[in-house]
Amino acid sequence: MTQHTGRCKIMNEIYKNKGRYACLSTAIAVLGIMLLCGCAQKYFIRESVDITRIRSIAVLPFENFTRDDFAGEKIRRIVITELLSRGVDVTEPGEVTKLLSELNVRSLRSIKTEEIKKVGETLGVDAVMSGSVEAFGISKGINVTYPEVTVNLMLLETGSGNIVWSVRSSTGGASFWTRHFGAEGIPLSEAARRTVEDAIDTVY
Amino acid sequence: MKSETLRRERLKILFSGLLTILFFTCCGGKGTPSFYMNQDVDFSFIKRVAVLPFENLTNERFAGDMVRQVVISELLATGLVEVTVPGDPISAIEKLRLKPGDPISADQIKTVGKDLKVQAVILGAVEEFGEVRYGNVSAPEVSITIMMADTSSGSIIWSVTKSKGGAGFWARHFGARSDTMSETVIAVVREALKTLFEY
Repeated sequence: MTQHTGRCKIMNEIYKNKGRYACLSTAIAVLGIMLLCGCAQKYFIRESVDITRIRSIAVLPFENFTRDDFAGEKIRRIVITELLSRGVDVTEPGEVTKLLSELNVRSLRSIKTEEIKKVGETLGVDAVMSGSVEAFGISKGINVTYPEVTVNLMLLETGSGNIVWSVRSSTGGASFWTRHFGAEGIPLSEAARRTVEDAIDTVY
Repeated sequence: MKSETLRRERLKILFSGLLTILFFTCCGGKGTPSFYMNQDVDFSFIKRVAVLPFENLTNERFAGDMVRQVVISELLATGLVEVTVPGDPISAIEKLRLKPGDPISADQIKTVGKDLKVQAVILGAVEEFGEVRYGNVSAPEVSITIMMADTSSGSIIWSVTKSKGGAGFWARHFGARSDTMSETVIAVVREALKTLFEY
C-alpha cells in the first residue's frame, strides 16, 4: 500500500512536471515565432520575370550613406564575389565605372531607365545591379558596441528597365552573450559578408 | 489554510503589479502614428508610384536618401504597387528646375505624374534621425512623415507621421536587446506604410 502511494506521488510529480514542460516549450515556441516575425526580411521579386535566367550582371558603384568613405566600394566587392560564387557572370567593375563616365552619369542616385538600358546594351548584360549602403561600422548600444551593416540592393532588367528584384538586408545588434557575458561578437567584415549573403540568398 | 490564502493573495497582487508595469512599458502612447486618408479616393486604382526625394530636416547628411531607399524597398516588397526606377523621379524634378527635397506644387506634381506615367507620387520628410541621449543611455530615434499625392489633381490623399526609438524599460534596466538604427528605420517605415495598406 505504501509502495503504491509512493508510486502515485511520483506519477503525480511527473504529470505536474509534464504540464510545466509543455508550458515552457509552448512559451519558447511562441517567443521563437515572435522573434522570426520581427526579423523577417521582406523582399520583392517580379513574378512575371524568371530571374534564374538572368546570368550576366553589371554591378554599378553603390551609393554610400555612411561615414566610411569606402563602404560602398567594399560592399560592391563582396556582392560581386557572392554573385560569381553562385555562377553569375559579372562584368569587370572597372568597365562599368568607365562606361558610366562615358555616358556622363553624374550621380548614381539619378541614373535613369534609359541610361540603364544603354549600360545593358553596351556591356551586353541581362541586368544591372544598383544598391546603397545604409550602415557600415561599429555602433554603440546601451553598454556594448557591435558591428552594424545594412544594404539595399536592386536588380534592374536592361531590356525593359524594370526593377525585377529588391531587398534590404541588415546585420547588427549585440547578442545575448555579448550583452550579459561580454562574449566577443562577429567582426565588421563578417557582418558585411553575412548581410550580402542573406540578400543574395533571396534571389540565387 | 489561512497562510495558503494569504500566499495566493500576495501572488495575485504581485502578478497584477507585474501586468501593470508591462502595460505601461509596452503599450505606451509613444510611437502611435497619426494619419490622414482621403476617404473619397479609391486607392486600388493606384498601381504605379514614384518616390520623390525626401526632405532632410536632420543633421544627418543622408537621412533623407536612406529613408527614401527603405520606403522604395518596402513598397516593392508589399507587391501592391509598382515603383519607378529611383533615378527617374530625380531627373523629372530636375527638369522642373527643382532641387531634390525642395517643396513641390500641385501643378508640378501633375507634370511629374505625366512624365513618369504614375498615378501617385510619394513625398516625405525625415524629422529625426540619430542617436538620442536619455539620461545615461543613448538610443536611436527616427521620426518621419510620408505623404501620397494624386497626380491627376495634385492633392494629398494620404499622410502619416511616425516616430520610433528610445531605449525601452527592459533594455534600460535589465539589459534586454535594444533596436539598432537600421531596425528602428525599418520599423518606423513599416508602421507608416501599414496605415496605407491596411486600409
